Amino acid sequence: MNLIKKIVLAEDNSILSKLLQFKLEKEGYHLLIAANGKEAVTLIENHDPDIILTDIMMPFVSGLEVISHVRNKLEMGTPIVVFSSAGQEEMVLNAFNLGATDFMSKPFSPNELIIRIKRLLQ
Amino acid sequence: MLEFLQNSIDTFNNSHPIIQSCIYWTLILIVSIITLIFYLKNLRYKLRIKGRIEATYQKKYESDLIEYLYAGDDININEQQKQIIKYLKKCAENGLKRKIIINTFLRLKDDISGETADAIQNLYYQTGLLDSATTRLKSKKWNTVARAIRELTQFEIKEAHDDIIQLINHPKKEVRNEIQKYLVKLFRFDGLEFLDVLESELSEWDQIQLLEILNKFNNLHIPDIGNWLRSTNQSVVSFALKLAKIYKQFDAKDDIITLFNHPNTEIRVEAINLVTQLGIFEAVEILKKDLFDRNLDEQIAFFKMMEEMSMPDDLAFIEEHVQHENFYIRISVMKIMNLITVDSNNTFTINNADQNYIIDKNLTIAS
Repeated sequence: MNLIKKIVLAEDNSILSKLLQFKLEKEGYHLLIAANGKEAVTLIENHDPDIILTDIMMPFVSGLEVISHVRNKLEMGTPIVVFSSAGQEEMVLNAFNLGATDFMSKPFSPNELIIRIKRLLQ
Repeated sequence: MLEFLQNSIDTFNNSHPIIQSCIYWTLILIVSIITLIFYLKNLRYKLRIKGRIEATYQKKYESDLIEYLYAGDDININEQQKQIIKYLKKCAENGLKRKIIINTFLRLKDDISGETADAIQNLYYQTGLLDSATTRLKSKKWNTVARAIRELTQFEIKEAHDDIIQLINHPKKEVRNEIQKYLVKLFRFDGLEFLDVLESELSEWDQIQLLEILNKFNNLHIPDIGNWLRSTNQSVVSFALKLAKIYKQFDAKDDIITLFNHPNTEIRVEAINLVTQLGIFEAVEILKKDLFDRNLDEQIAFFKMMEEMSMPDDLAFIEEHVQHENFYIRISVMKIMNLITVDSNNTFTINNADQNYIIDKNLTIAS
C-alpha cells in the first residue's frame, strides 16, 4: 500500500509551483505539477491524486473546467482547493457550485495551505 | 544580356519624364520593401534570442530564489544564502538581468504572504536592488524614474518617501501619477499630503484611481480636508469635494459653503450638489439670497438640491418660479411643490361609495 499522498497542483505561475513543490515535498507529499488546466486533467486521469490544488485563471482550460471535469465526467470525490485572486469572488462561488471543497485567496501563506491540506486528507 | 541592358537604359532615357518618374518611384518602393523585410526579419531574430535569454535567466533566478528561501531555517543568513545574495547582486548590475530578477521576485511576492513574502522583501534589500531603484529616481529619463517609483510601490518601500515626494511636481504626468499611487497605496489617507504641494492638475482619471485605492481600506481616520477645499489648485478642490461626498465630511461644511463663491463654475455647482449629500440646511438660505445673480447651472443645481431639502416655509419662494423659462427648473419646482403641498393643496379627493350601492356577488366570484 502506497502511503505517500499524491497532490496535483495546477498553477501557471512557475515560481509559485516550485515553491509549493519544495514545501509540500518536505512535508512528505508527492507533488505533480501542471502548468495549465489541460495538463492538470491529464495528470488527474493518470494518477488519481488524493487532493487537487488549482488556480482559477489558467491558459487553455480554466480551474472551473478542471473542477467540472473531475466532478461530472470523472465522478471523483477528491478534495479540490481553489486559489483565487482579488476580484474573482464570483468565480469562487461558481467553483463551489461546481464542487470545490475549499478556497484560498492570493496572496496566501504556504504554511496555511499545508494545514488545510492536512485537514482535508485526514 | 549586356545588349538587353543597354537597350533598356536607352528606352528609359528616351521615355516620357512622367514614365521615368514612375519607374524611379517604383524602384525606390521595391528597395524600401526589401530593406523593411530584412529589418523585420532581423528584429524578429533578435527578439527571439532575447526571449530565449530571458527565459533561461528567469529559470535560473527562480531556482536561486527558491534555493535561498529554503537554504536555511535559521533567522540568520547562512553561507549558501550569502553566496546567492552575492550572485544576484552581481547580476543586478546589468539592466536586463535586474529586470528579470525583479519580475521573478514580484511574481512570487504577489501570490504569497507571511514569512516567505518577508524573506523576499529582505532579499530585495540584501541584493542592493533598493539602492539601485533609489539611484534611478535621480535619472534624467522620465520613464526610468516612473519605473523606479512603480518598483518601490510594488515592494512597499516606505523608506523612499522623502526622495519620492520631492518629485511630486515632476513635469511628466506619468511620473506624477506613479508618485500619487505610491503615496496612497503605502500611506493611505496620510499619503494624500501631496495635495498640499501639488501644483499641476490632478486629472479626473488620476482622481478615480486614487479613490479606487482608498476604497480598499476600511475604517481609516480621514484627515482634515479643509486645506484641500481651500487650495488654489482647482483639481485639488474638486478631488476634496469628492472625498467629502464619499466619506461624509460634514465637519467641512464651512469650507463647502465658502466654495459657493469659487471662481470656477464647476466647483460651485459641485459644492451645491454636495449640500444635499451632507444635509447642510443652513446653505439653503445662503444660496437663496443671491440665487438669480448666479448662472443657470448653479440655479438648476439649487432647485435639484431643493427637491431633497425643501421645507414648507420655502413654498412661497418655490411658487414664484413655477413659470421659470428653464425646463429643468420648472420640473424641479413641480416636484418640490408636490412634496410640500401633499397635505395642504392636494387636489386628489376620496369619493366615498354610495350607501345604497349593492355589490354583485356573481361578478365578484367571476373576477
